[in-house]
Amino acid sequence: MMTAQNGSHSPRTQPTGEAVSVLVEGVSKRYGKIKQAGQSTGSDGGRMWALRDVSLSVRRGEMVGLLGPNGAGKTTLMKCIATLLEASAGRILVENVDVAREPRQARKHMGLVTCDERSFYWRLSARENLRFFGALYRVPRRDVDGRIEELLAALGLSGAAERPYHSFSTGMRQKMAIARGLLTDPRVVLYDEPTRSLDPVSTQRIREWIRESRAHHPEKTHILATNQLTEAEQLCDRVVIVNGGQIVVQGTVPEIRERFGEAGQSLHRLVCEGVVESELPRADPDAGVWEVSWERSGDGAAVIQLVADQRGEGLSLVLASILRQGGRVLRCETRQASFDEVFCRIIAKEQGAPEAATEVAS
Amino acid sequence: MLRLAYSFFRRDAAIAFSYRFAFFAQFTGNILLLGLLYYVGQMIGPQALPSLDRYGGNFLAFALVGVALTDTVMVSLISFGQQVREAQTTGTLEATLMSPVPLWVILIFSSLWNYFLSAFRFVLYLVVGALMYGLHLGQAHMGSVLIIFALTVLCFMGAGMAWAAIVLVIKRGEALMTLIVTAVLVLSGVIFPPSVLPGWLRSLGALIPLTDALDGMRIALLQGASPAELAGPIGRLTVFSIVFLLLGVIGFDQAVRIGRRNGSLTQY
Repeated sequence: MMTAQNGSHSPRTQPTGEAVSVLVEGVSKRYGKIKQAGQSTGSDGGRMWALRDVSLSVRRGEMVGLLGPNGAGKTTLMKCIATLLEASAGRILVENVDVAREPRQARKHMGLVTCDERSFYWRLSARENLRFFGALYRVPRRDVDGRIEELLAALGLSGAAERPYHSFSTGMRQKMAIARGLLTDPRVVLYDEPTRSLDPVSTQRIREWIRESRAHHPEKTHILATNQLTEAEQLCDRVVIVNGGQIVVQGTVPEIRERFGEAGQSLHRLVCEGVVESELPRADPDAGVWEVSWERSGDGAAVIQLVADQRGEGLSLVLASILRQGGRVLRCETRQASFDEVFCRIIAKEQGAPEAATEVAS
Repeated sequence: MLRLAYSFFRRDAAIAFSYRFAFFAQFTGNILLLGLLYYVGQMIGPQALPSLDRYGGNFLAFALVGVALTDTVMVSLISFGQQVREAQTTGTLEATLMSPVPLWVILIFSSLWNYFLSAFRFVLYLVVGALMYGLHLGQAHMGSVLIIFALTVLCFMGAGMAWAAIVLVIKRGEALMTLIVTAVLVLSGVIFPPSVLPGWLRSLGALIPLTDALDGMRIALLQGASPAELAGPIGRLTVFSIVFLLLGVIGFDQAVRIGRRNGSLTQY
């Protein structure tokens, strides 16, 4: 189990000095007896815990990514915030409105962007769909047409406004979901996997649109549940990694990379000649060398894969050993562990029994 | 709220008109049904059922009013549950649940188009019956007709909402609904008078509001009874309406809460 890297930083829920837009305090979600193994993350006499004592605070204007493996509890947390699910314990405030006590009031502050492309009326045009949802979400009559026009233009759908929804591509449908989520000009936008099933070009366009939208409306708060770590890395100010229904890590991506043990490593690939494997240093985390592997390439050169500390001590040790042997480095490639790799290592470590959240951000 | 009601109406009208063949074919079916009733009436003859005397003795008129009003009742009973189920299966329910409008209001509004169509069919049955099969409606008391019609809609609207609550929880209740509908149709006297039923079935039928609705509507339309003369059916329908509406609204609200608690709202 991971523990807080800095003892002075316990999991926080209330950042000081900045307005809190979404506050999740000690939220648990337990389902009744479920016979088959499924969506949930932990069982308790046949009862399944989807969330356990989750606390999270999102500042106004911040974009926070919810990450985690399938079944970790991301969507459950999003649904609890969106009033679609009732938490078993704890409380959630959205713009200071308790979502359990005043769900209808809370919904006025939120827009939900789902990844379900079926969630529109296929026989209606884009404009007819948005008009309908505008009325349903109580967008004032005098504003609704202008708002639809603005959103369609911003998302590049103006030319398709009168086309029936069924004729739209997956990317266009996802844009429609974004338009619907933003119809009320909400203070809090919840994105549930907004680029799932999209091709790379559409994915990139939607990410760019979200980024631009944030630049134009810095006061809006965004929560993004996604399985695409690159997306979280590109868009979010901070990420929260959920596993087993609990928050295991939260902080900025660089902080998480930096602060988490072997996750703060560099990966080196050295192509050398004149080197003997037995003379190379062994893995020794104290010396900054976590892993050393060796193989011969087709042309007889030695290929050394090295996982070492980012400060370069481990690499220096290996290079010194090569030079001491009279060997020669033909090529050296260095890269940082990708966030995907960092994430996988964090989750692999957590596969035991998660106990408490770790706060990275100071 | 009017704007919201209109939005639902416009949405459903646009969807219905986009299936042109199905839309117009349904009316053809309704008119053919009238032909069927006419020829059954011809076969029975005017004196075959003395129990029809209370309604003027004409089988076609009796059955036609029964079928027309039952059409509206069926919309009330089935439409709400159907709307919930459709929203679950088509994936629009989650987006709908994000609305700040109370869900029971959304439920009612989502059936406005069906009610409009049903009212249209009600009139169509009567007009076609009058024009093609000699149905006489000259003596109808329109005030009584409207009161009975409105109370019938309200009463079964409540029952329909209660049904929608059950659909939210048990998901597939079509078989149970078929059973209930069949029992209601048999016991309340849609195409034959309840007086031909055995005594114990008649007693059961008296507990079904459709029995009073049909009786009141037939007497109002075919015999011109005033609201005062229909005080009995009107009173009982009023009580049924209050009870069923309360049951429907509270039941639906509870079903939504259960769904939110166990995460089953969007499951189907």
